[in-house]
Amino acid sequence: MTSKPRSATETIRNLWERLLVDPTLGVISLLLIFALIAAFALPVFYAGNNIYNLVGSSITVMILSIGMTVVLISGGIDLSVGAVMALCAGVAATVLKMGAPLFVAFVCAILVGIAAGLLNGLLVTRVGLPDFIATLAMLGFASGVLYIATQGVPIIGYMTSEYYIVGGLDPLVGPVTFPILVAVVLALIVGWVLSRTKLGTHFFAVGSNAVASRQSGIPVRWVKTQAYMLSGTCAAVAGIILAGRNNNVPADLGTGYEIQAISAAIIGGASLMGGRGRVLGAVLGALTLALAINIINLAGVPSSFQKIVIGVILILAVIANYLSELARGATQRRRAKRLSSIDA
Amino acid sequence: MTDRAETPSAQSLVLEARGVTKHYEGVTALDHATLAVGPGEVHALLGGNGAGKSTLISIISGVTKPDSGKILLGGEVMPASGPLAAISAGISTIYQELSLVPALSVLDNIFLGREIKRKTLGLPLTSDRRSMELAVRDLAADFGVTANELHTPVSEFGALKKRSIEIVKALAFDPKVLILDEPTSGLEDAERQVLFGYMRSMRERGVSLVWVTHHLEELFGLADKATVFKDGRTVATVATESTSIDKLITLMFGADREEFGGGDTRKIAHLQPSSERPVILRARNLTRGSVVRDISLDVHEGEIVGLAGLAGAGRTEVVRTLMGLDALTSGSVELNGRRLSLRNSTAAYRAGLAMLPEDRKQLGILADLSTAQNISISRLSTVTAAGFWMSRRKELALAESYRGQLGIKTPDVNARIGNLSGGNQQKAIVARCLNTSPKLLIFDEPTQGIDVSAKVEVHALVRDYAANGGAAILIASEIEELLELSHRVLVLKKGQIVGEVRNIPAAIEAGEFARIKSEVLTLSAAGQAS
Ligand SMILES: Nc1ncnc2c1ncn2[C@@H]1O[C@H](COP(=O)(O)OP(=O)(O)OP(=O)(O)O)[C@@H](O)[C@H]1O
Ligand SMILES: [Mg+2]
Repeated sequence: MTSKPRSATETIRNLWERLLVDPTLGVISLLLIFALIAAFALPVFYAGNNIYNLVGSSITVMILSIGMTVVLISGGIDLSVGAVMALCAGVAATVLKMGAPLFVAFVCAILVGIAAGLLNGLLVTRVGLPDFIATLAMLGFASGVLYIATQGVPIIGYMTSEYYIVGGLDPLVGPVTFPILVAVVLALIVGWVLSRTKLGTHFFAVGSNAVASRQSGIPVRWVKTQAYMLSGTCAAVAGIILAGRNNNVPADLGTGYEIQAISAAIIGGASLMGGRGRVLGAVLGALTLALAINIINLAGVPSSFQKIVIGVILILAVIANYLSELARGATQRRRAKRLSSIDA
Repeated sequence: MTDRAETPSAQSLVLEARGVTKHYEGVTALDHATLAVGPGEVHALLGGNGAGKSTLISIISGVTKPDSGKILLGGEVMPASGPLAAISAGISTIYQELSLVPALSVLDNIFLGREIKRKTLGLPLTSDRRSMELAVRDLAADFGVTANELHTPVSEFGALKKRSIEIVKALAFDPKVLILDEPTSGLEDAERQVLFGYMRSMRERGVSLVWVTHHLEELFGLADKATVFKDGRTVATVATESTSIDKLITLMFGADREEFGGGDTRKIAHLQPSSERPVILRARNLTRGSVVRDISLDVHEGEIVGLAGLAGAGRTEVVRTLMGLDALTSGSVELNGRRLSLRNSTAAYRAGLAMLPEDRKQLGILADLSTAQNISISRLSTVTAAGFWMSRRKELALAESYRGQLGIKTPDVNARIGNLSGGNQQKAIVARCLNTSPKLLIFDEPTQGIDVSAKVEVHALVRDYAANGGAAILIASEIEELLELSHRVLVLKKGQIVGEVRNIPAAIEAGEFARIKSEVLTLSAAGQAS
């Protein structure tokens, strides 16, 4: 192999091909298309704090979808994230109201999230319930506990000045809020775990072919359980932030979030069949969803149309991912052909 | 009644199975089975389909728990604590069904569960892919897996390449005991020889090998001993040098070779179809990228056309385009003079084409359906009443008739096919294809994993199908099988037809088997420079 001097066109071609083979191409294009629509059709899009609020509103779903991506990769699905998130928000608020410092309240909330994830994992891997059923049961259980504890009355009066920062209502430095920071750090860590660590490889392996994984000596059940625990942790983090952003914790705080989290993960390229998914994809997926909802709000479409819009976006995303998969295969073949013609 | 060849004293045994019994619902897979493997020994496990070989292997590998009995490794009883324990104890297994993780790269698959780690923040957390690559690069290259391919997801490879990857995976960790469950199924002759070379060198290094095969001729010169199983019981352990294929067959089936049409004379395809017989399939200038290049072929009524070629020659790719599984760049296909639109495989089936796929697990069986459903699924009209609703009775009768014909071993054709032994699943898929009574049938490795006795049955069915006016295209990596069944062989190389050998039955009858065999082999290898 000799390295040849590269012409400018060659560099551009390489960059272009890199983009074409990137599995996130589908979501990126979708996001760009929406942004362009918004920019041209709705001047208010850039007005005031709109974009800032948009990003802020996407954080909760983003954090949930990061955990969801890991669960989907390992071949499961977690329907309980919304309910667990709300329960954890309730735990944080209640502990704070009892006068405990922020830190203690957060640790309690996160422990509850991990426990919920552990229970999900055990129900699936030890009791042998299907993922769908086990996490549906957890959804019922977690939201039931919150209803009983609150008697249907929202928890209020726990906000402190620091909690305003945690919730992102007051910025941290410049325009960066605490939730944004948390989402970025979480995305980086989970992304690193997935691509660089043994555990990450095992998540993919278990979701893609459980039998082969078992034969290779992977502790399949423990790996799956860890995926659920990670998802539970993400739910707790999201709950802590949402409690701060929302100023109160109603019993139905988490309703509908599981659908949004699953949608964001799937828009980002995760597969319900397991073995596929990307953290960057989930992050962009959450942004895409928030952007789309923002657009219909600005355009004055009644909010009851949101669900329909999410459905349409899901379909668009699956198509976009499929197209990017095609582009990817074609590019790889073209490149292989070029390389082999250089060899000859 | 176990007549044993000189048994090495118990303490010198590397691996031993004692009184292993395993029952499944309605079947006794193993019944007090025994096995004794000495150090540096290549030990063959033989037996018909469903004899219990794979079950014993999965028990030794810690994947399945036996009902009773024990496994000893180096004289010590192995705790029944799962695959990881067996792997760490030095047992490496290549399972019968391809068992790779499609979503992971080849490299990650090879090191799955045994990743080389690097320290990050003082903790051994990160996988060190560079070291992993260095560790297996040469071994992988020997089995035709390039450094580039190490980083490609396994899902992009065909069955043949996957087999090679599994072999690399099993050899990569210097095991004490290497278990291979039909490792050569679907491999080319050249790759077989590479594998056998490795098996020999492992034996020289003192590794014990346990090896399942249905190709009895492979044993001689490679295996030291053979243990024969029948219906879950150990029938005998014999030294290969003091036995013969005929004796082994008698042990395996309790019948001798003649009874199922074996014998010395080579079988030849019946009927001599001449090119005057009507053309069933006419394919012109089939092209798909650089994989299939300008292929034109005719298949006449009653004719079996073999496709020969080395690994990667494009045989499977050609038939996949015929079936509409891969899109053509250009070219046309006519069936009985009618132009086909090859949009998808449903259209191909409807037009009268059928195919027996090479990778039965991924493309063939519907694991959760019953054996009976698997047989009738491609042509449900044979099991409907009044052409409308499903008739359980007809479905059952159809399944039972094939069960008898092919000797499919199952207690109940209504039970899940996924629980059948590998060879028996293959027989069911063969039955499914034959049941569609298509105008043209494509067989891609039809007898992989099928035992000697059933192979004769399958060959007979293929010949009968052609003799009764059908037409077939056959791909078989075992050249003997290809020549014995085909009337005519086309040799492929790099997606192109590079030669043709005609009138094969006549040549075989004239005792020229060796000549045409070498002719086909030369053609497949020739033209390397062009
Ligand atoms: N999970 C299972 N459930 C039910 N029956 C099973 C299961 N696994 C194996 N069997 C049965 O046990 C018997 C032995 O199967 P096994 O796979 O060990 O045969 P084999 O000797 O490897 O055959 P082949 O040569 O076809 O691979 C068969 O009758 C099979 O149907
Ligand atoms: Mg078997």
